[in-house]
Amino acid sequence: MTAIVSCRALTKTYVQGTLEVPAVRHIDLDIEQGDFATLAGPSGSGKTTLLNMIGGLDRPTSGEVIVDGTSLAGLDNNALADIRLHKIGFVFQTYSLIPVLSAEENVEFILRLLDVPVDERRARSREVLHQVGLAGMENRRPARLSGGQQQRVAVARALGPKPAIVLADEPTANLDSKTAEELIELMSGLNQTSGITFLIATHDSRVIAHTRRHIEMTDGRVTLDERRNRAIAA
Amino acid sequence: MKRLGLLAPIGWRNLWRNPRRTIITLVVVSVGMWSVLTLSAMVQAIVTSSKNTALRQLTGEGQIHAPGYLDDPNVSRSMRAPSGTVLAILNSSSVAGWSTRIRVPAVIQSEYRSRAVMLVAADPTRERTVSDIPGQIERGRYLLDTSDTGLVIGRELAARLRTRLGKRVIVMAQASDGHLAEYGFTIVGILGGSQESLNGFVFAARAPVQKLLGMDDQISETAFASAPGANIDTVISRLRAAAPRLDIQSWQTLAPLAATLESVSQAIVGIWLLIMFVLMAIGIVNTQLMAVFERTRELGLFQALGMRPRSVLLLVALESALLVGTGVLLGALFAALTIWPLRNGLDLGRYAESLAHYGAGGGKLFPQISASSFFALSLAVWLLGVLAALWPARAAARVSPVEAMSHA
Repeated sequence: MTAIVSCRALTKTYVQGTLEVPAVRHIDLDIEQGDFATLAGPSGSGKTTLLNMIGGLDRPTSGEVIVDGTSLAGLDNNALADIRLHKIGFVFQTYSLIPVLSAEENVEFILRLLDVPVDERRARSREVLHQVGLAGMENRRPARLSGGQQQRVAVARALGPKPAIVLADEPTANLDSKTAEELIELMSGLNQTSGITFLIATHDSRVIAHTRRHIEMTDGRVTLDERRNRAIAA
Repeated sequence: MKRLGLLAPIGWRNLWRNPRRTIITLVVVSVGMWSVLTLSAMVQAIVTSSKNTALRQLTGEGQIHAPGYLDDPNVSRSMRAPSGTVLAILNSSSVAGWSTRIRVPAVIQSEYRSRAVMLVAADPTRERTVSDIPGQIERGRYLLDTSDTGLVIGRELAARLRTRLGKRVIVMAQASDGHLAEYGFTIVGILGGSQESLNGFVFAARAPVQKLLGMDDQISETAFASAPGANIDTVISRLRAAAPRLDIQSWQTLAPLAATLESVSQAIVGIWLLIMFVLMAIGIVNTQLMAVFERTRELGLFQALGMRPRSVLLLVALESALLVGTGVLLGALFAALTIWPLRNGLDLGRYAESLAHYGAGGGKLFPQISASSFFALSLAVWLLGVLAALWPARAAARVSPVEAMSHA
């Protein structure tokens, strides 16, 4: 299978005064196309740091990240922004929608940054909003959407430009059980029907139960990388 | 342009996420803009009124003399009346009016007292085209024609001489041949107004004075005023080219106080603009810094989603441009609504006499500001406001997405 993301000897060390704090230690990891993978570990295990480096939001101390065939090493901030725009979709834990834009406008925002023509981007934004179950709510601003609905819009926005991979950092952290379940089922369903690659940083067991690949991190190292024939939760 | 189309609506909506803060900033900017434009118009009104009052006495907008006359205004430094090209220029559409005069030092003597004065003899009809003195008669009349043998003096001079309308006075002056000539004039008019400087002058018709002083058809000076819209400097340049041997000066040289007043007033407006801008800039920068700080995570999100740092700067700068631009527009609108109704004159009422001491004569001020100044000042404030907001905009663009997303 084709690796969408490749990490080679990836290391991130934070310097706090004279103290060096290793957050990620020498990780080699490939995320294959079509993977629906979770990245789990206790707080401080380095999963968010790893996700940020894969997403080009943070630079490694050493090592390399290759996303969809493009190495992120040596790219300047503008080039990294372009990579994120064209190849990576993000779903964050909180505050991931632009509050002054409606649901449709939030999805269209990325497409406008990509200079997608107006008719095409409108059609695409409505399509993905329909996919995430928010047809009819296109004109609502985030303040008029529930937490679960906001995360669905975030998923739709991430999917809009058909990215190589969607990175989600604790997407269910602020949701109740039922809403969290619905969200993860949505993402799982999209992975199965559309083949979209997901890498989800989480310590939510409900999310982990839905995945077919589970990666665990402890103290900045990958301690488990388990492929399952099927998800535990169907 | 595409980015503008995407970011401008976001920027405009962002302004109204905190309506109270935005409205306060709009009030600051609009009041500042209104005060700059209105003050500029009022100062211009005072300056124009003062200048016109000063220039419409004896100075005119320009004068022609024989060389050396301004240093020694004596009968020997006289010249011929305008002719040829000079006359053609004075009669052109660039010149609203002109008048020839004899102006020499003299002594006026009444029954009781005598005083040194400046004797001014002119063509009464022509004089009305460059001077308001003929219209300032308080009692009696002004001179009728060039052969009138009457004399017009100021109210205060009449009081000092202990004379009055209808009385005879003797005017003595040096004639062209050097002897002391004297003539008995009848006072036919008393000038009113509060222009104290006029009390050092006496006014007669040209012909009798030319005969008295043996000047034939010679004159001391020609005063002229430019037509509305004409450039006085251009008129003077043309006159100097036509008569290089004559001394031709503009009002800026002849009336330095009026020129200084104009410069000082422009400086006052400039200083006020600076003060207002500093106050507005403090408000704008404070507002935008607060907005950037409150939206640190959101600005990090923009970059995380793939927006380049330059576009983040553009977004914040656009918000500032919209904020300041709206304030400037409102201020300009209020200023127009303030100035326009006063275009027919602001009645000074009981302050007229006091202000006349400062040269603002006529009892009315006419607030005025040219369209170009109106737009230039508005544009300057807008640009300066946007420049001031570049600081918070740069701060926004430098936000690291990772640090921003972890901001509380």
